[in-house]
Amino acid sequence: MIAARGLSIRTGAGHAAVRSADLAIRPGERLGVVGESGSGKTLLALAMIGMVPEGLQVSGEIAVGGTVVAPGDEAAWQRLRAREVAMIFQEPMSALNPLARVGDTIAEPLMVHRGLTRSAARAQARELLEETGIPQPERRLDQYPHELSGGQRQRVLIALALACDPALLIADEPTTALDAAVALRITDLLVRLARERRMALLFISHDLAAVARTTEAMLVMYGGDIVERGATDRVLADPAHPYTKGLIAARPSLAQRGRRRLPTIPGTVPPLEALAEGCRFAGRCPVELPRCVHLRPAATATASGSAACHLLGAAP
Amino acid sequence: MSYFLVRRGIGFVLTLIAVSVVVFAVMNVLPGDPSLTILGIDSTEEARAALRERLGLDEPVVSRYLAWTFGALRGEFGTSYAFDVPVAELIAERLPMTLSLAISGMALTVVLALVLGIAAAARHGGPGDWAIMLFSQLGIAVPAFWLSMLLVLLFAVHLRWLPPGGFPGWGDPLAAARALVLPTVALALVQSAVLARVTRSSVLEVMRLDFVRTARASGLPRARVLWRHVLPNALVPIVTIVGLQFAGLVTGTIVIENVFYLPGLGRLLFQSIANRDLVTVQALVMLFAAIVVTANFLVDIAYLLIDPRLRGARA
Repeated sequence: MIAARGLSIRTGAGHAAVRSADLAIRPGERLGVVGESGSGKTLLALAMIGMVPEGLQVSGEIAVGGTVVAPGDEAAWQRLRAREVAMIFQEPMSALNPLARVGDTIAEPLMVHRGLTRSAARAQARELLEETGIPQPERRLDQYPHELSGGQRQRVLIALALACDPALLIADEPTTALDAAVALRITDLLVRLARERRMALLFISHDLAAVARTTEAMLVMYGGDIVERGATDRVLADPAHPYTKGLIAARPSLAQRGRRRLPTIPGTVPPLEALAEGCRFAGRCPVELPRCVHLRPAATATASGSAACHLLGAAP
Repeated sequence: MSYFLVRRGIGFVLTLIAVSVVVFAVMNVLPGDPSLTILGIDSTEEARAALRERLGLDEPVVSRYLAWTFGALRGEFGTSYAFDVPVAELIAERLPMTLSLAISGMALTVVLALVLGIAAAARHGGPGDWAIMLFSQLGIAVPAFWLSMLLVLLFAVHLRWLPPGGFPGWGDPLAAARALVLPTVALALVQSAVLARVTRSSVLEVMRLDFVRTARASGLPRARVLWRHVLPNALVPIVTIVGLQFAGLVTGTIVIENVFYLPGLGRLLFQSIANRDLVTVQALVMLFAAIVVTANFLVDIAYLLIDPRLRGARA
């Protein structure tokens, strides 16, 4: 079980990029995080592996397997990374050391954390590559990243992340840089691996279809707040928060093809310092109430989970 | 065999040919008749003409160039006008001096620069970074000959730890090494100041790249990430500057050898210019140029060893 409580991330100027977020991922659970660029979803993910960029202040509590880790305790995080929490990133093209053979890259954490010999680590790297379904895994070991395609590189990164058998794998937009067919195969691979290994998966994406395909539960983030959460299929079928509704309505579908313009959420995500103190969605919300700007709505139970919106709660 | 290496190899040969043409041309348009230098102004025109014929100076320029080039390829550079011994002999006596000075200077430069540059990058923005960059700024600002004099004053005159100059010969290796310490330091301090800055900025740049984040996410210790992932990727600009600096070091030895009174190629060059010993000057200039061009070719080979992306059939 990996959990965050009251997790906030502030910029040097004191603006909140993530506002007191709570989340918990049970072993084997696949949790999606959805939001636009700037919603704080990547920062939330980085905080779960202790890698929030320098200059940002993290507060709150993160517990990995029952022990609380201070957000800035680099030594503690170093012990947890790869073994408890691993992460794969958005850009497989640049996420691998271009000067190292793929086999050596995957073998390195095995040698450092598990104390395996070079040959044992290499044998294990081969098995990991095979598990990711990369064609000709034996041959890949001696190849360099530039000799592989984007999808193959993402598989290598997945093999690297799995090397030390982590309890949680964080995947930050792992398919954004890949073409659609490859992206589908990668998401399916993540689901299969999470099932087979009883590994939790935190799947960050702005792509609702990918989240629907990959996860059982989901969080919707806007402006650093978790605005809605619940079972993935139910949230998508019956969204409660106006932002989630807008997000779902803005999805292109084949049925609408050519008939009309795609519906969009008016406006863009404002910069952090311009976000309302109350509900972060205030200003773009189609059903805004006067109090929304000043008063942060509390999470309220909904049919599919919970959402933070004044329309759902009892009037104060 | 990689395409990259073939291309650079051809470039290497063409550069050497171009350099030899320029060196030969410059030396031959310079005013001054070697026969006059050798025989003196009291000599007769007949005697000078006979000497020019003996030296081959009366032949057409092209055949003289070809004779010189093919001679140089066999290691024959003609006979020194001033010393009346084969130029190759003069060079062979002094080359070990200059090469050991250049190589020890380069080695000290690289070690100092990597240590300081990496230390500064690892302490980016902190007082350590600030102190190292201040030191390197000073190093860049100070001319090598002036630094040499300060070093001699401090370590040879006041402290009497090291000899102020001169060379005892290779017979006594310890004494020879002691004689090389101050010249090596004088050469390396200035060069390493430049290289340390390059190292620092290259390391900082690589530290921002995605694969470094991947390495950190794999739970690798900071030091390991720095040495195994960041540094190899930061090497390409560092090696480029090392190649350029080697040229600076080789020419720097000319100044340093004169300051420390060391019998190397630099002193020979000075003496030959003073003596209007054009055959020797020509051979030395060609040799210095060849060393520099070779160093740059070695840099190209180093790129190949560092970066697998250049090893492909086409790059």
